[in-house]
Amino acid sequence: MLIRRCVAGDAAAWEEIVQTYNRRIYNICYRFAGSAHDAEDLTQEAFIKMYRTLSSYDSSKGAFVTWVTTITRNLLVDHFRKTKQDRITDSLDATSSAHEDAQPLSEQIQDQSAPPDARVRSRELGETVHAALARLSPELREAVILRDLQDFDYREIATVLKVPEGTVKSRINRGRAELARLLQRTYRQVM
Amino acid sequence: MPDQTSNGMQCHEFDGLLSDALDGVLTGSELDRFQAHARTCSACGPLFAEVEAGRNWLKDLTEVEPPVGLVNNILASTMGVDTRRLRVNVSATEPHVSWPAASWLERAQAWISAAMQPIWGTVRQPRFAMSFGMAFFSLSVALSVLGVKPTDLRQVSLSPSAIRHTYYNTQARVVRYYENIRVVYELESRVRELKRSMTPTEPRPNESAPSNDKKEHKNDTTQQPEQKQERNYSQTDSRIILASAPLGPSVNEQSVDDQSINDPSVVSVTTYRRIV
Repeated sequence: MLIRRCVAGDAAAWEEIVQTYNRRIYNICYRFAGSAHDAEDLTQEAFIKMYRTLSSYDSSKGAFVTWVTTITRNLLVDHFRKTKQDRITDSLDATSSAHEDAQPLSEQIQDQSAPPDARVRSRELGETVHAALARLSPELREAVILRDLQDFDYREIATVLKVPEGTVKSRINRGRAELARLLQRTYRQVM
Repeated sequence: MPDQTSNGMQCHEFDGLLSDALDGVLTGSELDRFQAHARTCSACGPLFAEVEAGRNWLKDLTEVEPPVGLVNNILASTMGVDTRRLRVNVSATEPHVSWPAASWLERAQAWISAAMQPIWGTVRQPRFAMSFGMAFFSLSVALSVLGVKPTDLRQVSLSPSAIRHTYYNTQARVVRYYENIRVVYELESRVRELKRSMTPTEPRPNESAPSNDKKEHKNDTTQQPEQKQERNYSQTDSRIILASAPLGPSVNEQSVDDQSINDPSVVSVTTYRRIV
């Protein structure tokens, strides 16, 4: 209904869609791109693309959230391919995001025990995992993000990534395992 | 992954059930077999531990807050709308600040701007702007040539007779304008001269000619000066001549033969033009 109103030119309906989905899309972009600045640009691009192609949405083919996520994912993959040449394959010790303190990852982990406040520790831990997530291959990263951060079911992920469910499960497991190895390696270096 | 069988389960089968086991959907004997394989297989056991650890790490990632002006920027970039409601939303960092409802005027403006955006976007292109400019210029030139003034439009009467009157006036003005063009006038003059130079060689019109001539004059809408004005009365036959022949025998002019006519030296004729 909301989509139909929006296609008919109802500005309020479009505003409602933006209000509903901007947080989800921004988070997917942020976790995939790794940078707050890129995430903001990509979120805007995703909504512009959505706005232009809204009339092509077919509710019989899947939920609107799946369609929205598919658009975002395609955009992220394009962005990844475009910036592949420019990207520096930095080590785990490199700084990576605007949300993080400008500090190498190993130093962040080293300081992990220092802050007395549990909230600060939790935030720093989150930033460490975010940095490790950015080091996964895009295929594994997108699968893990959709499953563990966005709570999509396997069928929805299969629709978004256009791969069989078995492949989705395999990628999720490999992504989780790879992430754990990266973080364990970092901890060992710190210790 | 080495594909070995342990406790009745192969490693690839274990891999397929890994997600279900972590999601807690494995039950009964399948769960028992899975757990037994994880305990005994040197490859699958550590894998299960890593996957579980990875999933637990990811639980530490909480949602991040989007930038404050993101929604506003999205709406501005999609619809070109920057509503008061959104500006209030952006500035409202306190949780207790409620949104003012968008007024019907704002909604109408947003709807109109959304509807007009594709058209307006096309119209704003330079080539279209140039075309419109040229069309306006041409129209204004045409109107000024036709003598139409914007101030006159107020007094325009749309009754059929007024429209007909305007039509004939305009037509007459256009015809006059056309005929007063120097080139046209000169061309017509030349044509008339040519016709005139050819006239003496033509046979004289018979008696029925004048009636035809009259007809032609009636239908003549060129508004050219009538041929009558250029007529040389001295060469026409229809004049009334008062003649006297003081010398020689009384000769009846009606009976003069062709020979005497061809010899003008022997006849002295005085003519008087009758002034009508």
